[in-house]
Amino acid sequence: MSGRSLEVNGKKVWLLENGSGAPLLYLHGYADVHAVSESWLPFHEQLAKNASVIAPAHPGCALSDENKDIDIIEDVVFHYLEVLDALKLDKFDLVGHCLGGWIAAELAARHPEKIRKLVLIGASGLFVEGALIGDIFMNAQPEFGSSYATLREMLFASATQPNALEMFPDGKGELEDEVRRYQMLRLSSRIGFKPPYFYNRPLRNRLHRITSPALVIWGEKDGFVPRSHGETYAKLIPNSGDLKVIAGAGHSAHVEKAEETAKLVTDFLAK
Amino acid sequence: MQPVQLFCWHFMAYPYLDKDFDKSGHSGWVTVPNKLWDNNQARGLYQEYIDQLALADELGFDGMVLNEHHQNIYGLMPSPNIIASALTQRSVRGKIVVLGNLLPLHLNPMRVAEEYAMLDQMSNGRLIAGFAPGGGPETFNYDIPSANTREKFWEAADLIRRSWTEDGPFAHEGRYFPLRYVNLWPKPLQKPFPPIWIPGSRSPSTMIEVAKRGYCYFLSSRSHGGETHRAQQEFAKVLEDHGDQYHPFRFGILMSVYVADTDQQAREECEEGVWYFLKNCLKGHLRKEGRQLTYGPGVPYIPTAAWREYMKGYKPGRKLLGDVENWEELEASQSIIVGSPETVTHRIRDLIERAKVGNLLIQFQFGNMKDHLARKNMKLFAEKVAPALRHDSQIQFTKEFPGIDIGQSAQAVQQ
Repeated sequence: MSGRSLEVNGKKVWLLENGSGAPLLYLHGYADVHAVSESWLPFHEQLAKNASVIAPAHPGCALSDENKDIDIIEDVVFHYLEVLDALKLDKFDLVGHCLGGWIAAELAARHPEKIRKLVLIGASGLFVEGALIGDIFMNAQPEFGSSYATLREMLFASATQPNALEMFPDGKGELEDEVRRYQMLRLSSRIGFKPPYFYNRPLRNRLHRITSPALVIWGEKDGFVPRSHGETYAKLIPNSGDLKVIAGAGHSAHVEKAEETAKLVTDFLAK
Repeated sequence: MQPVQLFCWHFMAYPYLDKDFDKSGHSGWVTVPNKLWDNNQARGLYQEYIDQLALADELGFDGMVLNEHHQNIYGLMPSPNIIASALTQRSVRGKIVVLGNLLPLHLNPMRVAEEYAMLDQMSNGRLIAGFAPGGGPETFNYDIPSANTREKFWEAADLIRRSWTEDGPFAHEGRYFPLRYVNLWPKPLQKPFPPIWIPGSRSPSTMIEVAKRGYCYFLSSRSHGGETHRAQQEFAKVLEDHGDQYHPFRFGILMSVYVADTDQQAREECEEGVWYFLKNCLKGHLRKEGRQLTYGPGVPYIPTAAWREYMKGYKPGRKLLGDVENWEELEASQSIIVGSPETVTHRIRDLIERAKVGNLLIQFQFGNMKDHLARKNMKLFAEKVAPALRHDSQIQFTKEFPGIDIGQSAQAVQQ
């Protein structure tokens, strides 16, 4: 594992690299590297056995510079086009979770030629009528002065399972973990707060442009992005198989069922 | 130098919740179910509150204060300008302080510039224009992204001031509110522009922005232990750093006061209203129960570096004002001053002496306090407390701030 900074358009982008093989760009979500954890999670270590995994921190997350010009998802997509140029990545596997999955889907719809294979895990980004994406901001506000139980409930199958408690503890966690969680919410508030709430209405009708094979994975009990969003992605991306549902997992399948989820991904990428 | 300025602040709480509201598990903010609104009881409520403010004007208070809140029982003024408009016709002397309009909630800041200009004209130049960025609850009830709230706020505030002072039409090439034709009709009456007050909670960046522009800083906290004095010192230092000089009318604070003939009587009369206020109105705002919406990682409006600093000292589960459990704890919090005229005079005089504050914005009605008690409270304060405070503060300010002509400050511009 190694971390380094990349200079992109006058801004610093922090990224981690791990493994060797075909390039795999990983875009993070909440219960994830850069947003909670300073380093890789077991899920990423698994991927790195067969690929050269590159995980940039989103603008304003971890050690990446904040960009006050980001208002909408489009701005993040352009940011990543710059990152791809700087990394000289022109054909790669793209894996994204949650907000990272949204960015991945937007990138793939605009530049299908760059993506070898696409994996979305609990991705936000779609408007699905009657299935509102959850309010992570409200749930990130403590109850009873110190409880983040409802936030954990949103991001995991259960608020009391150990990995949930470890990543989003009650009270006050390690200072730098707290800061990373804050940074992720701050970026989210730029692109995911103003209605539309964590979605980009036109994205739905752009998914047919994606040409790469795609795998869509969802936790059985996702309390943040309803499973119907996964079904919609799977249906509207032309080369996607059926939605893969991870039994017993919530929104963060890659944490809650790391091995199972990683195997699905590596098998799909190896095919 | 003028004496301390005494304002009557009304929050206009919803006073008709059942006694067991707190047990319902509902917050008092944002998600408080509006089926609880009872027209049978609420008919005439605004009239009652407006009448109380009109009484403040008759009693010789220096002004009346209103502010903006949405979807809550704490304050029923989603648009304080509507109440201010009524007050222009119900008062003749006191300032009308709107503290403030929440600028990021407005699609176009010109609407605020226009309405404030109208209020200034309608009140014959009595408007004090407050601008506020809004806090956590507004993030939720108006879907305001937090991260750029502060930048948006200052752009809007500067545009409004420019529209009051520069000849139009001009183009505003702003990041958030680009406008091709800024051309204000009507203009405000006060020149160069109505006094501008900005609330803050001791964040250095707000003090700096306020100092840069020569505005009045208002500390939006009810607790007046050591922090109030420290805030004054911090703000004075910031003013100095900007080549300006502190005087008591650059600074204001929020207070809550109930006065009756004796300490005992005061407590008995106000206690029901005070507990309603603390337990219901502050639930979701300054209370741990019902999810604290005002501040936290879900409303990330302060920069990351400031958050890191805040987290260093953060004590999870610490008690907020609404968490006090008994009267003694409340007294110790120095948040609500209750007592005889002597007690109240003594405590407020102390505060003025320490904090050198010239604008006291005082809440006289709490939660479900009955009309006759609120009015009695205001009257007794005006008769038995205000004269001594005015007398003593004038001596203090003249002595401590010799040679400062408040007329030169942008804040004290009179019509």
